[in-house]
Amino acid sequence: MGRYIIRRLIQAIPVLLGATLFIFAIVFALPGDPIEALAGEKRQDPAITAIIREQYHLNDPLLVQYWYYISGILFHGDFGKTFAGVPVTQLMAGKFQVTLNLAFTALVMEAIIGLLLGLWAALRRGRATDTAILASTLLLISVPTLVTGFVLQLWLGVWLKQVTGIEFFPIAGVGQGLQSYLLPGFVLAGTSIAYLTRLTRTSLVETLRSDYIRTATAKGLSRRRVVGRHGLRNALIPMVTYLGADLGVLMGGAIITETIFNLPGIGLQLYQGVYLREQPIVVGIVTILVLVYIVANLIVDMLYAVLDPRIRYE
Amino acid sequence: MRVTRGARIVAGTALLALAVAACGGGASPSGDPAADGGDTPVRMELGEPQNLLVPSNTTESEGSELLAAVFEPLVNYDENKQVVEAAAESITTEDNITWTIKLKSGYTWHNGEPLVAQNYVDAWNYAANQDNAQGAGYFFGRVKGYDALNPGEGKEVTTKEMEGLKVVDDSTFTVELAAPFSQFRTMLGYTAFYPLPKAAFGADGKVTNEYGEKPIGQGLFKLDKPYKKGTDQTVDLSVYDKYPAKKPNGWTKLQFKLYNSSETAYNDLQANNVDIHDSLPASAISSAKTALGDRYQDQPDAGIGYIGFPLQYNDEYKDVRMREAISMAIDRKTIAETVFSGTRAPADDFINPAIDGYRQGACAACTYDPGKAKEQYAAANGPAKLELGYNADGGHKEWIEAVANNLRANLGVEVTVRPFEKFANILDDLDAKKYKGMFRMGWAVDYPSAENYLSPIFSTGAIKTGSNYAGYSSKEFDELVAKGDQAESPEEGLKFYQQADDVLIKDLPYVPVYFYRNNSGYSTQVKNVRINLLNQVEWADVEKA
Repeated sequence: MGRYIIRRLIQAIPVLLGATLFIFAIVFALPGDPIEALAGEKRQDPAITAIIREQYHLNDPLLVQYWYYISGILFHGDFGKTFAGVPVTQLMAGKFQVTLNLAFTALVMEAIIGLLLGLWAALRRGRATDTAILASTLLLISVPTLVTGFVLQLWLGVWLKQVTGIEFFPIAGVGQGLQSYLLPGFVLAGTSIAYLTRLTRTSLVETLRSDYIRTATAKGLSRRRVVGRHGLRNALIPMVTYLGADLGVLMGGAIITETIFNLPGIGLQLYQGVYLREQPIVVGIVTILVLVYIVANLIVDMLYAVLDPRIRYE
Repeated sequence: MRVTRGARIVAGTALLALAVAACGGGASPSGDPAADGGDTPVRMELGEPQNLLVPSNTTESEGSELLAAVFEPLVNYDENKQVVEAAAESITTEDNITWTIKLKSGYTWHNGEPLVAQNYVDAWNYAANQDNAQGAGYFFGRVKGYDALNPGEGKEVTTKEMEGLKVVDDSTFTVELAAPFSQFRTMLGYTAFYPLPKAAFGADGKVTNEYGEKPIGQGLFKLDKPYKKGTDQTVDLSVYDKYPAKKPNGWTKLQFKLYNSSETAYNDLQANNVDIHDSLPASAISSAKTALGDRYQDQPDAGIGYIGFPLQYNDEYKDVRMREAISMAIDRKTIAETVFSGTRAPADDFINPAIDGYRQGACAACTYDPGKAKEQYAAANGPAKLELGYNADGGHKEWIEAVANNLRANLGVEVTVRPFEKFANILDDLDAKKYKGMFRMGWAVDYPSAENYLSPIFSTGAIKTGSNYAGYSSKEFDELVAKGDQAESPEEGLKFYQQADDVLIKDLPYVPVYFYRNNSGYSTQVKNVRINLLNQVEWADVEKA
């Protein structure tokens, strides 16, 4: 097992290097001059543009620029600077903290709510409960995050505070610790909750029809033990796969939620980075996201072995 | 029984929702800050400043707004749009070339050092030097010796000082301009003209990053701690004890809260989590009027939006009748009221109503007249196809589409609307002659003088160095602006500027479409909020309610 993990991590190195070069090249290929665009609607003095371009090595060919970037990271631990002169490491440290908090809040909500609703629906298959849960998940999937975000912010943030005088859910920012993440976490998890509910239901319904479940029931095991030990555990594999893959989506794709709730996370930063063509930011963030994907996948693969003893990695 | 079971499910789901909600209930309520007096901050909405907080590198609104709280400008602007001295005791000139600036006594930097004339000279020389790549360097273009600090791309700067700046004594310095300019006094309130303390400069003579995170000013507020850009969501300031001018009554702390979305900030305002919001989103205007009542304010803002013509690159637009026709075909009133929900006003002059010199209805061709427009267009033999470009990143799509529809309907022409990624792309394509159509253009003033709407956008000299993207060139206009620059008094100068404005109205190198308006709202916890010409809050006047 240990050797397997090490092998997987070593395999990750070329993937990471390839990803950085690829992203770097993509940002490089975007049209327009990022330095001229900094001046907004005024024409920037060409001399000043030239000096800034020189500072950021923007006149060099792609591979030379990439070498400056990657050698800075490898030899000095320096991830570069934004056009405003802020070190990218400083920027990323703060933002990843926010995004991790948000993504984990969402992931926990998603796992708990999705699992419970899916379980409930599967056990009441074909009855009104089942239909109601499926219908409400359909609603969650079809309403865009933008709408749920603003509506919940208005109801639970603004109105609830105006009516009760107590701030249950902060409207904006991360000033109130965990409390700040509850509402955005739920909004972000919305569609995933719906998908996970449906996945759990389908997977469990299928498992509960298996021969070994009938055998377990025939053996006289309690219903709780049949469903929990023999049914759910076997049904969990697709859900774990989904949750693992979703972590990456929740981290990199939270732009809308981060904007609505004013959370200074990496989703928004990534968007601004692409918009301003700040390669160090885009590449830095994406590289770390790739790393998160790799680790999450590794953990998922490990969990397979825990859930199903037949799976062995050697 | 199906119905009751359904009801139980609904109840169950509601319970679940409540359970989720209850998680939040346990934490301590934030409480109403008004209850505990002067020590809770007045909270102001702000977007993230583009750069570190260095005045000479701050040319956008958010950074300027923050710096305005930390620095005292040489001059300020009163309610009647007139210039009043602030940190300056007097600003005098005999010939509009040599200006003598005397400083008031009593101002000190937040680190205790006294404010001296040398601080201004140092800061201005630093800003103007091309090697320092400061965004606001161009403000010093009129000072004698600016050229020596800006020899151009790839050339070496051989001096560190502008010839025109001379310190007379600790509280007096003189500025010699390269050419007479009667409006120089008006310029001095802008961010670029703030002084810098000795402590701002590092061993290499450059302003340090530490300074940019915690600027030391000589104004009303000082920063409590360094601002970590990209990480911090608030910037906290306190009143500087030794500030010699008027201080706010009853409160001492100011907090800027940084928002990415003005809609979110508006929600926070409604919940009393932020006190002043000076850029309400168009989507909130109609509800703000009822929800905030007299805590909603609407005043002219110095910005203008235009449709520009590529006069230099495309002869199709040469005939002035055609430009008049396009102007008369645009229904400005509907665009301002419907597309912009009243956050804009229909434009009727090249000078904005926020500034002294505006004349209501000056631009006759800015009145909506579809009949006459069609006639004129036919008379000018206008082309059957027009192209209209805009930058897709600034929320301009809707009004540009509206203008295009106006032109289609009223002139009977085919109009292609062409989005560009950024404004800089339009300029690049114009220069390269890859694009030959009309384009959207906007202007926000750098200093509140009528001159600022004229010379930087329409003078012949601005084709190369300024923002004259149309490539418009008129001898008559240039001469009138020059006369205004040389006038003996600001009032006399204004007369010439208005005559220059008349030339523009006759020639229509651009078509003004709308004036910006400033829409702001306040919480129940503050009152007496006044926003000045530069869109900055007059903090000393603000009171807690």
